[in-house]
Amino acid sequence: MKSLFVIVVFYPMLGAILGYLIGRKSKEARNYFADFVVISEFCLMLLALVKLQGEELFLDEICGMGLHFAMNGFRGLYGLIAAFMWMMTMIFSREYFAHYRNRNRYYLFQLVTLGATVGVFLSASLYTTFLFFEIMSFTSYVWVAQDERKESLRAAETYLAVAVIGGMVLLMGLFLLYNEIGTLEIAELAQGCEASPHRTRLYVAGACILFGFAAKAGAFPLHIWLPKAHPVAPAPASALLSGILTKAGVLGILIVSCYMFYGDKPWGSMLLLFGVLTMFGGAVLAVFSVDLKRTLACSSMSQIGFILVGIAMQCLLGEENALAVHGTFLHMMNHSLIKLVLFMVAGVVFMNIHELNLNEIRGFGRHKPFLNLAFLMGALGISGMPLWNGYISKTLIHESIVEYGSSPEFVFVEWIFLISGGLTAAYMTKLYVALFVERNTDEKKQARYDAMSSSYMNAQSRFAIGVSALVLPVLGIFPTLTMDRLAQLSQGFMGLSEYGHHVHYFGWESVRGGLISLAIGVVVYLFVVRTFFMPRRNGVRVYADRWPAWMDLENLIYRPLIQYILPTVGQFVCRIGDSLVDTLVVVLRKTIYNDRKIPYRTGRLPKADVLFGTFMDWYAVRLRHRDQAVSYRRSLRRRKVERKESRLMIRRSLSYGMQMVGIGMLIVVGYLLLYRFAH
Amino acid sequence: MNSWLTVAAVLLPIAGGILIPILPFRRRIHMEWYIEALVIATSVLVWCLLLHRPEELVLLRFTDQIVFTLRIDGLGTVFAGLISVLWPLAILYSYEYMTHEERERPFFMFYTATFGVTLGIAFAGNILTMYFFYELLTLVTIPLVIHTFTRDAVLAARKYIYFSMGGAAFGFIAVVFLLYYGGNTEFVLGGFLGSLPGGLNFNLVLAVFVIGFIGFSVKAAMFPFYSWLPDAGAAPTPVTALLHAVAVVKAGAFAVIRLTYYCFGTEMLIGTWAQKLVLSLAMFTIVFGCSMAVRETHLKRRLAFSTVSNLSYIIFGAAIMTTAGLAGALCHMVFHAIMKISAFFCSGAIMHQTDHHFIPDMDGFGRKMPWVYGAFTVSALGMMGVPGCCGFISKWLLAEAAIGAGTVWTWIGVAALLISALLTAIYMMTFVVRGFFPGKDFDYEKLRDVRDPNWKMILPLAVFSIAIVGFGLYSTPLTEFLSRVAAGLI
Repeated sequence: MKSLFVIVVFYPMLGAILGYLIGRKSKEARNYFADFVVISEFCLMLLALVKLQGEELFLDEICGMGLHFAMNGFRGLYGLIAAFMWMMTMIFSREYFAHYRNRNRYYLFQLVTLGATVGVFLSASLYTTFLFFEIMSFTSYVWVAQDERKESLRAAETYLAVAVIGGMVLLMGLFLLYNEIGTLEIAELAQGCEASPHRTRLYVAGACILFGFAAKAGAFPLHIWLPKAHPVAPAPASALLSGILTKAGVLGILIVSCYMFYGDKPWGSMLLLFGVLTMFGGAVLAVFSVDLKRTLACSSMSQIGFILVGIAMQCLLGEENALAVHGTFLHMMNHSLIKLVLFMVAGVVFMNIHELNLNEIRGFGRHKPFLNLAFLMGALGISGMPLWNGYISKTLIHESIVEYGSSPEFVFVEWIFLISGGLTAAYMTKLYVALFVERNTDEKKQARYDAMSSSYMNAQSRFAIGVSALVLPVLGIFPTLTMDRLAQLSQGFMGLSEYGHHVHYFGWESVRGGLISLAIGVVVYLFVVRTFFMPRRNGVRVYADRWPAWMDLENLIYRPLIQYILPTVGQFVCRIGDSLVDTLVVVLRKTIYNDRKIPYRTGRLPKADVLFGTFMDWYAVRLRHRDQAVSYRRSLRRRKVERKESRLMIRRSLSYGMQMVGIGMLIVVGYLLLYRFAH
Repeated sequence: MNSWLTVAAVLLPIAGGILIPILPFRRRIHMEWYIEALVIATSVLVWCLLLHRPEELVLLRFTDQIVFTLRIDGLGTVFAGLISVLWPLAILYSYEYMTHEERERPFFMFYTATFGVTLGIAFAGNILTMYFFYELLTLVTIPLVIHTFTRDAVLAARKYIYFSMGGAAFGFIAVVFLLYYGGNTEFVLGGFLGSLPGGLNFNLVLAVFVIGFIGFSVKAAMFPFYSWLPDAGAAPTPVTALLHAVAVVKAGAFAVIRLTYYCFGTEMLIGTWAQKLVLSLAMFTIVFGCSMAVRETHLKRRLAFSTVSNLSYIIFGAAIMTTAGLAGALCHMVFHAIMKISAFFCSGAIMHQTDHHFIPDMDGFGRKMPWVYGAFTVSALGMMGVPGCCGFISKWLLAEAAIGAGTVWTWIGVAALLISALLTAIYMMTFVVRGFFPGKDFDYEKLRDVRDPNWKMILPLAVFSIAIVGFGLYSTPLTEFLSRVAAGLI
């Protein structure tokens, strides 16, 4: 039975290779095969979740330190969510990619990444996590670069740079941790860290590991790849990047926080700081954005911030962190499911009109009730509307902040939390109104959009989007039946054994927070978005990009630092290093070993030469009427010196020595022969 | 096993190589078969010797101190085993490559003879014997560097002679010192100098060690004496790939390990200023080589700079001066050999097929040469240290050893390793990405004539790629073996 671990991880990778080979023969067969792989992977994952509960598998000696997998509620559920998202996006991909080039490559990397992602979620030692995490990072690079446009390649470059730098720092952290506590097994981390006397070293190691995982999760200030990569990646890939790959990063942060720093106040405070910045920053960026997928990407960043706040609250609350634990897990899950729907809807828009700018796509959704409803489910879910799933998890995290205390800092955090929730509602309303309510400013375009209302997507895509969207209200309407149970199943991973709370999700206390948020959202939408962000141009309100172009962390700091400042310093050092030996040689030649110039004065010549030269000089002047510029005497002298020099060179040369040895040997041989004949 | 077979293994390729220009081959294929058979026979013989280790063999005895011995020990096993696997594959590859070049026969003569000389270094039983073969290696490889007789090649060969001979001269100081004070110069793990010979000044001993270390590491292209290596890329690719990524440069690293672990002994050196000096030189070279590689746009030169950096990984591991460090160094020696030879063969295949040498000219080749670029990608990932490829294992071992040594210097070394991994990612991946993602509007018509080479070039590449991934997934027997060698158990 334990071999199921190996199967769920490596089966998709194998399928990827087979699919690639099939795809070289027939594209249609490849599509069916890929569908088959992801659906069967989903079933296998379900089976694994049920059958393998509490099991572990060691694959000793594989990849150096050996792989270690384990199954519990959290791992299984997240593996299942991953498989579910892959299944839905794969079904949707068929129509989305119909007109793309290089689809074979996309399918190959899509499936390999599935295996790696499942591997990340099932890993039971940080070493295993790291292995699959890196594979996942590299294979998902291809998604971003898929269409090979200039901006895609640039975004992909950013993505790869963040992934590689994050991976290196993470690896450094793992080295330090391993050196400090002697193990990377997740289950033994807590004990090892408890026993370690060097708290500071643990913090350094933890910070390095956090850096690596936070880069993937998209936390501030390492979020730079997120808003760039999502808009250019194909929509199914964006859904996965945002929905599940960021969660692999969050998983790592959870491991560090719940195992290494369980109940550690300084760690919790630091996480809270980054969480709040990410949450609020992402929301503000999303409000500013005028690009459908970019808005969703910034929204992802903001939601990761919510999750980080949840994790921070777990650390701060210590033993009494039940609400935070449930809130964190549920928000992770909800965000994955919601973003799946939203990005697929964005994909539908893009595959029909190949535009993402709000002014261009305005009015596309009119007279398309199915798309409208699906998007609405996602929008309401993420805005935290009661009766939808996002509301439940946000309420739990909110409650945990309230529970911690009412010191001024935490009142501030609570308000930022509510305001960020409000901004979420505001930007989702902005998207919804633009897509489904308003008419396009260009009537021709509007007519074209309206004409698409029956043909804009096929039954398979409808199925994928419909099922994904249906999950959201079901979870939200029956929270105690569904979400509470799922959270209880997974709480063990975060160190919670008993859940004593019973939150009245629809009681006034809970609903109040949600309503404050929504009220803020309405106010922001009506008085900021519709005025400041929608100026009138030629009598119509258009969506304007109010974000100053220079304010871009990547272009302002990271790229100059990495592309210009560090290379310049490096180049300087390299130049010096490169010319060190050569310079030394030159200096030596100029000082100690300087070449002797041929002297002008050449010393005495043989008498005959002098006489002959003098005669020739006289002859030249007298008989041939030349002036004395060319002196035969002098040139004879020069030639003599040259002869001397070359003789010297020959005498000093190796071949001359060899020749001499040879001659010597000949003489010896000759002498011996003579000697022999003489006697 | 008869210990005279050790001499046979060394002499067979040398003698067989000398015969190549003399033998009357009717057709080229006959020569190919002859050389391949010769090299494979040598390799088989070497492996037999390694598995049934013969007794030590004293070839010549000049005086009591100056003895010429051949002996197979653990370290020699690793080096000889490595090169005897790579040589037949490299020969196979060079048949195809050399079709474009002239003067094949002298080339193959020296190429084959180098095999024997390198085996001599591996089997040398004491420092004098090793020194002899070490010098011989320089001499026998000069004709290979100068082979094309272009201006670049002549200059490169000249530089190569100066650097190698100069380095060997420095090494000679250490050799004489060891001969004089060491008495019996047999290699012993842990060193044969004992504590402090004959009331010498300790700093003097360390100074001699540093001189010898730097002298021998000239062949391993350690900063500041590295610049011969990128220039030597003017040689035909089989030479660059096998000699300047594996045999010659690793002979340098091998000599350094012999000097440190088997002559002076780590007990005496660890923690001294000498160790810190060589460690910091190695660390600097690690980062420096990578930075130079990033700057370089000529493909072979870029790979050569990458070799500069990676050889210092080995020297760094050796300079940690612990058993774990040596094990890491040996592991990287083996794995880097496989990865780099694969990368060079790919670059050679690209040059052979297209005559392009500069990276900006190679946009979009990946689609047209999937096998070559696939193999290159695997080796690039391996050199970056991506999990699942063998480079990751050796880097992990090195970093673990460095952290385990527990000094600030070695910790800085870990940082150097990681920075270098990052730079490796830059200089390798930019090339791969250009090959596979030339941009949306790229005109593939331009590359109509670009295609994969024939099986003689592909086969070695495939073998190496499989080895890279295979060792990445499962390498425990090898790493165990290497750590036993490092501990002196084998």
